[in-house]
Amino acid sequence: MSAPKKRNFQIEAFKHRVVVDPKYAEKTWKILEHAIHEIYNHNASGLSFEELYRNAYNMVLHKYGEKLYAGLVMTMTSHLKEIAKSIEAAQGALFLEELNRKWTEHNKALQMIRDILMYMDRTFIPSAHKTPVHELGLNLWRDNIIHSSKIQTRLQDTLLELVQRERTGEVINRGLMRNIIKMLMDLCGSVYQENFEKPFLEVSADFYRRESQQFIECCDCGDYLKKAEKRLNEEIERVSQYMDVKSEGKITNVVEKELIESHMHRLVHMDNSGLVNMLVDDKYDDLGRMYSLFCRVPDGLPLIRDVMTSHIREIGKQLVTDPEKLKDPVDFVQRLLDEKDKHDKIISLAFNNDKTFQNALNSSFEYFINLNPRSPEFISLFVDDKLRKGLKGVSEEDVELVLDKVMMLFRYLQEKDVFEKYYKQHLAKRLLSGKTVSDDAERSLIVKLKTECGYQFTSKLEGMFTDMKTSQDTMQGFYAAMGADIADGPTLTVQVLTTGSWPTQSSSTCNLPPEILGVCEKFRTYYLGTHTGRRLSWQTNMGTADLKATFGKGQKHELNVSTYQMCILMLFNNADGLSYREIEQATEIPAADLKRCLQSLACVRGKNVLRKEPMSKDIAEDDAFFFNDNFQSKFYKVKIGTVVAQKESEPEKQETRQRVEEDRKPQIEAAIVRIMKARRVLDHNNIVAEVTKQLQSRFLPNPVVIKKRIESLIEREFLERDKVDRKLYRYLA
Amino acid sequence: MRKEDTVKLISAEGFEFVVDKKAAMVSQTIRNMLTSPGSFAETEHGEVTFPEITTTILEKICQYFYWSLQYARFSSFPFLLSLLVHYR
Repeated sequence: MSAPKKRNFQIEAFKHRVVVDPKYAEKTWKILEHAIHEIYNHNASGLSFEELYRNAYNMVLHKYGEKLYAGLVMTMTSHLKEIAKSIEAAQGALFLEELNRKWTEHNKALQMIRDILMYMDRTFIPSAHKTPVHELGLNLWRDNIIHSSKIQTRLQDTLLELVQRERTGEVINRGLMRNIIKMLMDLCGSVYQENFEKPFLEVSADFYRRESQQFIECCDCGDYLKKAEKRLNEEIERVSQYMDVKSEGKITNVVEKELIESHMHRLVHMDNSGLVNMLVDDKYDDLGRMYSLFCRVPDGLPLIRDVMTSHIREIGKQLVTDPEKLKDPVDFVQRLLDEKDKHDKIISLAFNNDKTFQNALNSSFEYFINLNPRSPEFISLFVDDKLRKGLKGVSEEDVELVLDKVMMLFRYLQEKDVFEKYYKQHLAKRLLSGKTVSDDAERSLIVKLKTECGYQFTSKLEGMFTDMKTSQDTMQGFYAAMGADIADGPTLTVQVLTTGSWPTQSSSTCNLPPEILGVCEKFRTYYLGTHTGRRLSWQTNMGTADLKATFGKGQKHELNVSTYQMCILMLFNNADGLSYREIEQATEIPAADLKRCLQSLACVRGKNVLRKEPMSKDIAEDDAFFFNDNFQSKFYKVKIGTVVAQKESEPEKQETRQRVEEDRKPQIEAAIVRIMKARRVLDHNNIVAEVTKQLQSRFLPNPVVIKKRIESLIEREFLERDKVDRKLYRYLA
Repeated sequence: MRKEDTVKLISAEGFEFVVDKKAAMVSQTIRNMLTSPGSFAETEHGEVTFPEITTTILEKICQYFYWSLQYARFSSFPFLLSLLVHYR
């Protein structure tokens, strides 16, 4: 910088060069117009950006922005019209390619033009509220090319035809499709939706409607589902490859509707391959596919669920009411467990462990298990069988598994008190004959029952176990105290049973042999000595005895028999032959039991320690019995007629059921009193509802029975009827 | 400095300022010029002529470019000034 000269000078405001030339605007525009032409003709390399930018800048600055803009619109439009002609002229397959090429070129030109006219874009356009250059370019393209009558329909048809070709298996140029469709997406004003998406969805719907009709005529369910899945995946892939992501939901809806929803019912109920067949044949893949396809349509899963439920109920009902299958209770319960396992597996493998399906399964099982009134008994027998021999040698975890499964069936029972009764009976027999495979397993099951039903349910069962333990201690005490006295008599083992805990048995008469009587009396004195105020009565129908017998040829055997049988056999110590009547008189055993015992002693092959005359199967009053000297057996120890828990005969069943009904009455009454005490006044329907709810966990009370109980309570002055409203009951304190 | 990294800014009097491309890109106009898809003369030769900008002004502009790069971290201040450069 030179040294400042000392003179007065004014600093003028920086004035831009004033343009004097009136034709300035026209001249400048001409330059720009020429430039735009060159750009469209790919001849831009000769131009100077700076010069063009400056010219545009100047035009806008001197308020010729309007002219510039209008001129731009005109020039672009005329160019686009030419481009349109060249695209229309393209033949066949080249149509799309030409369109694509021209589009790319147009974009490039547009960007260059916008760069030059940047100043106008930023200043003039916002203030004059005009469309910015880029958008303007797109709109002009849309108006002149896409919406040009000749091109529009041709474009749409070509695109749809290509999609159709791809659907029938041809390979198309996906890149080209992607570019064209992207072009439609880039243009504003829902060009994509109007010109492509909507017709695409319509055409697809038609296509799939026809195809699904075709498939369903010729394929079975599994195949159809495979095809449907394939088509669905294809469409999803197609969208991801060259369409707008938002179309995915729409096209999948179309496919689902046409392929799945309209044929849902037919598929599920198809003969020989429908849902029921799949369930029966354990077709996990097909079922899984059906599940995943059906969960896409509304009402798909409920349909599967309903059909499955009715199917399970059907087979369950058959299982439960088939007289053949009911002959063996253990087998019956095992089948139930197998069915449950099978369906659990189906639900976990194919149905994604869906909770609603699990619930449907549970409700179906509950339904048909309770159809058979003997289910509680059979389940108890199953447990009995397992605890006697089924679980021998099985590992602890497996034991737990089996017991858990049993508990699961138990939960389905409505009449849990019937089960309790049978279980008590069977448990008593098991404990008394010492036949449990594992004490731990027994206790484990009791704990499970306690968790499920509460302390009340299992208190008596636990009492039974306690009695067994106490009896052991008592026996030890007995022998310690009396050991010397009875050393040469028969060895006695006594189980002292508390009456309340054990199933009530009517004690029957039986004359014990004198040897036994002696020892028994000694025990009685010992016991009553230590426990005053108690009463003991011998339950001769539940005991067992081990006898050592020597037969005619000197063979010695140890016989394991019931107490009754022991009494009978001991008679033969004093006589070789006895008639039926003599035996009956001597032992005073009730007739039915006596006949049974004699049968098992004389009529069973391999166990006939007695000989019967005549040699018939049945016992008549005139029969005579002789000690069988020729008795032979491979084993030293022979078991004869131990008391096994069996399926009850009809009269026994009736008896048990009656006892259960009797037991229910006080429970219902207790529930009624409980409710009325809390509510004071309640009407009939509500009482019935509340009682049912309270007793739900044990059994389902009959409303008629409830009514009877209410009347009984009224008689006993626990409740009274309201004087005005006959249906209202009042609690009397 | 390699040739590819630089551009030449030429003033009205013919003075040539060789600056980093990065520096020149501070100006949106120059950036558009240089990154335009079309093959304008400028991008071919890497030279931009400003027949209406005097040397002294252009010199100050170049100085501004570098200053701006250096202090670009500090938010609004350079932004406001770069707006001025757009409107030349």
